[in-house]
Amino acid sequence: MKEQPLLFALPKGRLMEKSRDLLGSMGIDFSFDNRKLVADDKSGNYRFFLVKNSDLPTYVNHGIAGLGVCGSDVIYESGKDFYKLHTFSYGSTKMCLAGLKGSHNFGNDAALKISTKFTRFTRDYYHRHNTPVEVIKLNGSVELGPVLGLSPYIVDLVETGNTLRANNLEIIKELEDIRVHLIVNPAYYKLNYKRINKFVDDIKTGEAKWNLERRK
Amino acid sequence: MKIPQGSESFFFEEAYIHRKLTEAIQNLFNSWGYLPVETPVFDLFDVYRTLIPESDADKIYRLIDREGDLLMLRSDITLFLARQMGLILSDKDLPARICYSDSILRHQNSDDISHNEFFQSGIELVGKAGFSGDMEVLLLLNKVIELLDIKAEIHLGSHALFNQVFRTFSEQQKAEILRMTELREFRALTEYCSSVSGAQKAEAEAELFSFIGSADELETLMNVKSDGREKITGLFGEDAAGELKYLIKIARNLEKAGFTGNFQIDLSEVGSQAYHTGIVFQVYMHGMDSAVISGGRYDGLLSKFGIDAPSVGFSLLQRKIEPGIGSKERFSKPADVTEINDKDIINAFNKAEKLRNEGKTVTL
Repeated sequence: MKEQPLLFALPKGRLMEKSRDLLGSMGIDFSFDNRKLVADDKSGNYRFFLVKNSDLPTYVNHGIAGLGVCGSDVIYESGKDFYKLHTFSYGSTKMCLAGLKGSHNFGNDAALKISTKFTRFTRDYYHRHNTPVEVIKLNGSVELGPVLGLSPYIVDLVETGNTLRANNLEIIKELEDIRVHLIVNPAYYKLNYKRINKFVDDIKTGEAKWNLERRK
Repeated sequence: MKIPQGSESFFFEEAYIHRKLTEAIQNLFNSWGYLPVETPVFDLFDVYRTLIPESDADKIYRLIDREGDLLMLRSDITLFLARQMGLILSDKDLPARICYSDSILRHQNSDDISHNEFFQSGIELVGKAGFSGDMEVLLLLNKVIELLDIKAEIHLGSHALFNQVFRTFSEQQKAEILRMTELREFRALTEYCSSVSGAQKAEAEAELFSFIGSADELETLMNVKSDGREKITGLFGEDAAGELKYLIKIARNLEKAGFTGNFQIDLSEVGSQAYHTGIVFQVYMHGMDSAVISGGRYDGLLSKFGIDAPSVGFSLLQRKIEPGIGSKERFSKPADVTEINDKDIINAFNKAEKLRNEGKTVTL
């Protein structure tokens, strides 16, 4: 009897494109045609769900998808525990504290006032460092916070720094390296560990080859 | 209409199946000599404070009574049961076989759909140490799985093995290693343990606790030789090897008893509760996001409540399992309901009683 396909959540956007490219190089081909959000690979061994990045941990946590590709920033914000069975070579970025160029002056305020999408990370980071912090939750275009005077600082992911520069902002401190992981629901792993271990081994080998090919 | 997050109500056929299943589970427990116990809905928080893992503490509902004492609502039946047993049991009552079916109350986040985890049925075997106690509970566990008719897998590990292998580590270090083991963060575990164990032994520790497999596969792992001696015994000592042999012995005996369920020795099962001391196990069910049955041995827990008795038991998240049970018609409400059409209510009542005595379901 053919086994059920492994259920896999992918985040919309660049991470999905990279992941599909990598999986395609391993012979796992699929596409989300006509705005569909569910796709099976040609072998029928994998079923992929296309979900919003920040919702991905919820799907994996509840076992709707067994596996997922997710950044450590999103995992941390979810507050959920997953098995992280592989760290991908792509999608790395940094969580940074930024503010208007030349304007930062710690120590004058009772608490650091920070606008961010990453409220849990920001609060925990500064609590760990015994720094009082006031966090303002934003859902996007965080750079506007200091520009419009909502808060002097932001905590956000910085890849190239172009958006910061364009808005007259600069990195004050790099807080943490963010990596992209293959996450797995623990119960799902326990019931499918042989297949998942094999898949992880294949991913490790496949990604090394894929990186070599791309460098050519 | 607003409903508080985390509350659950269910009705009619669903509630009927729930009650019938609860009855069937309790009947099974009773037939093994287990008698029911009812625990209070709330108790003093200070009694349990040190026994609750930090990760669980924020899920507990707490309230202050009129005398200013901090109370907690029942969030874990085993803990509340242990206190009650400490109050009523003495050595002459042992071994005591106890069963329960009851609800628990925990805080739930808005993205958490686990409200179906709030009804637990289970057993505790108090005062029966070692192999015979562990086997009794595992054999009964298998009977419960048979009764539920679910496709499930039992994963058996050992907290005693964990304590043996990491005996030279501090309690704080052990808590961190336990967390890494549960999350299968074995690369991080190797790095963390290297400073105490040395690089080679730390790798072996990670390899050991990543093991999932059959008794045969564990035996193969144990027979690996290094310098003419079993590698595991050489690295971790006779006592740790003894704990592994104990798990194999259990697995072999379960096979002899015709154990029907899928069964794995899983050394990453180390017991998330602070009170575990011996075997620990979880049951996983296809289509479920987390374990549906958890259990293990906790020989030191009752001594905290006034009676020093070894204990072992398990608890099932019954509401979580209910949608997936097999042959559900066993617990379904009666299909045929006879309606008596008689304007004279006393005549109707008498007719209905006659039919009810024949086993029929009758409405007036």
